[in-house]
Amino acid sequence: MLTRKKKKNEHEYIAVTPDDNKYVILDPFSEEMRINGHRREIKIFENEEGFTFLEYGNKKYLAEITDKNQNKYTVLLNGVSYSFIIESPISYRRRKYLEKFRHDSKLEVVTAPMPGKIVELLVEESSSVKEGDSILILEAMKMQNEIITQVAGKIKKINVKAGDTVTKDDVLLEILK
Amino acid sequence: MKIKSLLIANRGEIAVRINETARKMKIKTFGIKTSKEPNALYLRLVDDVIDFSESLDEIPEFLDVERIIGAARSNKIDAIHPGYGFLAENPYFARRCEEENIIFIGPSASAIYMMGNKTIAKQIAQKYKVPLLQGSQGTVRNVREAAEIASGIGYPVILKAAAGGGGRGMRIVEKASHLEKMFKMATNEAEKAFKDPSLFIEKYVRNPRHIEFQVVGDRHGNYVHLGERECSIQRKHQKLIEESPSVALDENLRQEMGQAAVRIARAVNYYSAGTVEFLLDADRRFFFMEMNTRIQVEHPVTEMVSGVDLIALQIRTAEGQKLPFRQDEIKLTGWAIECRINAEDVQAGFSPNLGIIEKVSYPKGKNIRVDTGITDYSVITSYFDSMIAKLIVHADDREKAIAAASAALRKFWVRGIKTTIPFCQAVMNNKKFRKGDFNTSFIEKEMTKLFYNDEEDEMLAAYVAAFDFAAELETNRTTRPDFERGKNISPWVLNRRLKSL
Repeated sequence: MLTRKKKKNEHEYIAVTPDDNKYVILDPFSEEMRINGHRREIKIFENEEGFTFLEYGNKKYLAEITDKNQNKYTVLLNGVSYSFIIESPISYRRRKYLEKFRHDSKLEVVTAPMPGKIVELLVEESSSVKEGDSILILEAMKMQNEIITQVAGKIKKINVKAGDTVTKDDVLLEILK
Repeated sequence: MKIKSLLIANRGEIAVRINETARKMKIKTFGIKTSKEPNALYLRLVDDVIDFSESLDEIPEFLDVERIIGAARSNKIDAIHPGYGFLAENPYFARRCEEENIIFIGPSASAIYMMGNKTIAKQIAQKYKVPLLQGSQGTVRNVREAAEIASGIGYPVILKAAAGGGGRGMRIVEKASHLEKMFKMATNEAEKAFKDPSLFIEKYVRNPRHIEFQVVGDRHGNYVHLGERECSIQRKHQKLIEESPSVALDENLRQEMGQAAVRIARAVNYYSAGTVEFLLDADRRFFFMEMNTRIQVEHPVTEMVSGVDLIALQIRTAEGQKLPFRQDEIKLTGWAIECRINAEDVQAGFSPNLGIIEKVSYPKGKNIRVDTGITDYSVITSYFDSMIAKLIVHADDREKAIAAASAALRKFWVRGIKTTIPFCQAVMNNKKFRKGDFNTSFIEKEMTKLFYNDEEDEMLAAYVAAFDFAAELETNRTTRPDFERGKNISPWVLNRRLKSL
């Protein structure tokens, strides 16, 4: 069990999801903890087997941090993944400001959705594709899966060939939109 | 002949399951150890381990007919149980066992052969007046022939590997222009999976239910069915949730389909446990699909409602014993549901989630059963399929069974990898599933979200992340829950923790 202390200075953290949902968490250790302005009673505890749980509104939630890199977090809650970037109010404002200057990339990178083996390439470098075209066949767990492009464009670079084994998120090819 | 020793030529949960019954029957059990999974759970539970760690040839261990037969002979083992997959439906393996005077726990080689060859199986079904779908007489040689047949029976059609099973080498063709591509893909997949590229073609029934019947037979001409299993919750032809009985059947239809299943079993002198699969269309017409001549993954739901131990029955009928019951003595009670817990990331298109099970804890209760081949620190590799456990619940009726499954899923805890638990939970909470209103296109058509969560879950997860982040920032805090169990600790945090000890 953890102990909670009251702090004199309030600490504010902002958890931002990839869909830009925003959770402002005020004083996470305090009894007076607030999320988006509302008081929330969330307890954290560990059971004798070593699993960590949240208790909230008479319900128990299995919780685990599955990935963490500086302020980037992936949390598994009841088996479902959630990703966040944790910001302070200052760093959050800076990020928002910088985002205004970023524009959409012209390059679509197609990655392997699962580990497997490339069975067949259905396109060549510099061939044109339209949205929904099959670009290659990936065999995983003995099932053949068609990989489909979400964008129209020209194949810029192919990084794999038939027979190659790929792991999840390997870059298969690049399409110039 | 009484079986005194048994070689389990399989792995995972089914090896554990077979071992459990065999040991209860005072049979000495042998397991096969492979270099791919040297610390697997089943190896700790069997009486004796045969070591196949040293790789002798290219053939995967559980498919190596002569090596398995040789191991059984040199250890003077009476019988081999093949489980499911691998050699379970290989007539050559069953024949080799026979030749070497080893009891193969399953039907005869000829029954496996006839039912495994879909052309022959269909001819048998036709002869014994079991309804069939329109399609090719035998395999189709090329795309042109496929196109002719398809235009004759009308699109959509389905291409199936003649040697197939488990959804591999299967493709639905919606219109003529798709035929060539689909034909090529199905041929490829069939060649890869079964070393036999031949396909056949049949009318595709849109949105059918998948209903299968458990049949059992002995060597004395007795055949009994143990009711149906509803396996319509499928993704890419892979079953994910099964139940028994099915809401789609009334007693008349159950008897009609059960008798059809028994006619198929009788036609091939089927002894042991087997499954006859049917499609049921929206007008409640049923069509013979195939017979699986093995124990099925989903056999526990039948065991729960019938009280019959199917593995024990397989062993007894292999010994030559008669079935211990007649059809009119079979009483099916209550409702059973099975959820397959796979190491898959539902949020990433069910992609395999490989890794180490750091910790696992199962729900417990009188009407809860967990069949599993994993334990703490088990490694999930890409060598084998992704199923890690089956959760089976039994209750008085369907509504209670769904509630029991939902409650049990919430107490099924796994750390280290992602599983299909949130998917199974989403099905249990789906209104149409609860009403019994579903078919094989359920996942595709009815599930807008493939995993279950509450509205506030994202907020709770955000709190976990913020809590951990804040705890690292605040230098004077030393007690905080260890969410990561020692993973991903940055050096400065570790240093601070060591100092504070």
